[in-house]
Amino acid sequence: MLLPSLLATEAGGRNRFEVEASSPREALRELPIRGLLFDEQSELRPLVNVYVDGVDVRNRGGLDENLAGGEEIRVVAAIAGGLVS
Amino acid sequence: MLVLAGTRKGLFLLTSDEGRRDWQVEGPLVPGWEIYHAILDPRDDVMYACSNTFAYGPNVHRSRDRGQTWEHAEQLGLPEDGELKLEKTWHIEPGRDSELWLGAAPGALFRSGDGGVEWELVTGLFDHPSRERWQPGGGGMCCHSIQISPDGAIYAGISAAGAFRSEDGGETWTPVNKGTAADFMPDDPFPEVGQCVHKLLVHPEQPDRLWQQNHCGVYRSDDRGDNWERLEANGLPSGFGFPLALHPRDPDVAYVVPEEGAENRVTSDGRLGVYKTTDGGASWALAAKGLPEPAWLAVLREGMAFDRLDPAGVYVGTQSGSVFVSPDEGGEWITAAENLPPVLSIEVGAWQS
Repeated sequence: MLLPSLLATEAGGRNRFEVEASSPREALRELPIRGLLFDEQSELRPLVNVYVDGVDVRNRGGLDENLAGGEEIRVVAAIAGGLVS
Repeated sequence: MLVLAGTRKGLFLLTSDEGRRDWQVEGPLVPGWEIYHAILDPRDDVMYACSNTFAYGPNVHRSRDRGQTWEHAEQLGLPEDGELKLEKTWHIEPGRDSELWLGAAPGALFRSGDGGVEWELVTGLFDHPSRERWQPGGGGMCCHSIQISPDGAIYAGISAAGAFRSEDGGETWTPVNKGTAADFMPDDPFPEVGQCVHKLLVHPEQPDRLWQQNHCGVYRSDDRGDNWERLEANGLPSGFGFPLALHPRDPDVAYVVPEEGAENRVTSDGRLGVYKTTDGGASWALAAKGLPEPAWLAVLREGMAFDRLDPAGVYVGTQSGSVFVSPDEGGEWITAAENLPPVLSIEVGAWQS
């Protein structure tokens, strides 16, 4: 699993993790920064994008797709960095 | 002295000796996060920051090593079976013993007993029976003012729900808005709740004396918020503004930064005008020697602070990235920092060790 720099900082400086998981959701939940990815209702925050082997999970089987093993999961923040909330 | 300047792009620390004339700037700490408010807890030298990002949500960061490393909260959110989600963290305040209080949107107050690792929602305020009459202001329905009074009361200010007081440690809450206007509701201009309080402070040594900068006026209370007197007609260019500062010892002194109005949110009269009263708001005078003019600036609700030295220092941070310090109670102002990201909050402290 690959994390962008801000999340890597929050994970103690690590941007690469290997986890045992049967789905992207389960894999994300194994990360020490899961509270930054999911809200209190266990929904992925809307501006967090997840790619499995280079493909947005929305265009594959979603967060609950069965993984075969060995996939690369990459977390990417959506293009909204200039957003003034 | 230490100034914690929370900005749109991280936290900056400004340090000076007690003369408060020469400032060193360090930062950004917690880079990438919007720091809505940050404090140095005088009890244990831990820094806390209300931190928000567009992607990874609201949080509270803490540092036990003077800002070298930071950790985020492990448990912070609204009830998972509810309809609402936590939107932003806005204000953090040390409480009694080891308690910490956190104000957030939408209209939420949290308490932590373990140094900010886990946060518990204060349901007595979140589920207040008047909540259906609350509405969000321009910045969301933010709980931005938390005051732990020396007399034991706790006050919370929420925009736009109004001011609330708890006499039992946060279990139950009473609206304290009598006399404060809600001009934006002409069908009910003096409601029990729904006022848009912008900043609420209790005097640190005289707990009967409260001050309030509101969307609709500047107010003083002499009876713990039971009644409020409107003050801006006594010499302020406008009753609209956001920040507020007091004097650590003299309860008759207050500072405000008026803006043109709700529909034109820029400092009044083309200057960064800090106004000071020394008589409880019976009169106001410009205290802006050394502040920029002409200038069309904005100071947000957390963008002003005061210290406890003698003479007392007053601090202002602008949305255009400047921090100004008056080491002599508003007599003159020094530019402590400029070209920072937009300043969201100013707080002062001093390392204890």
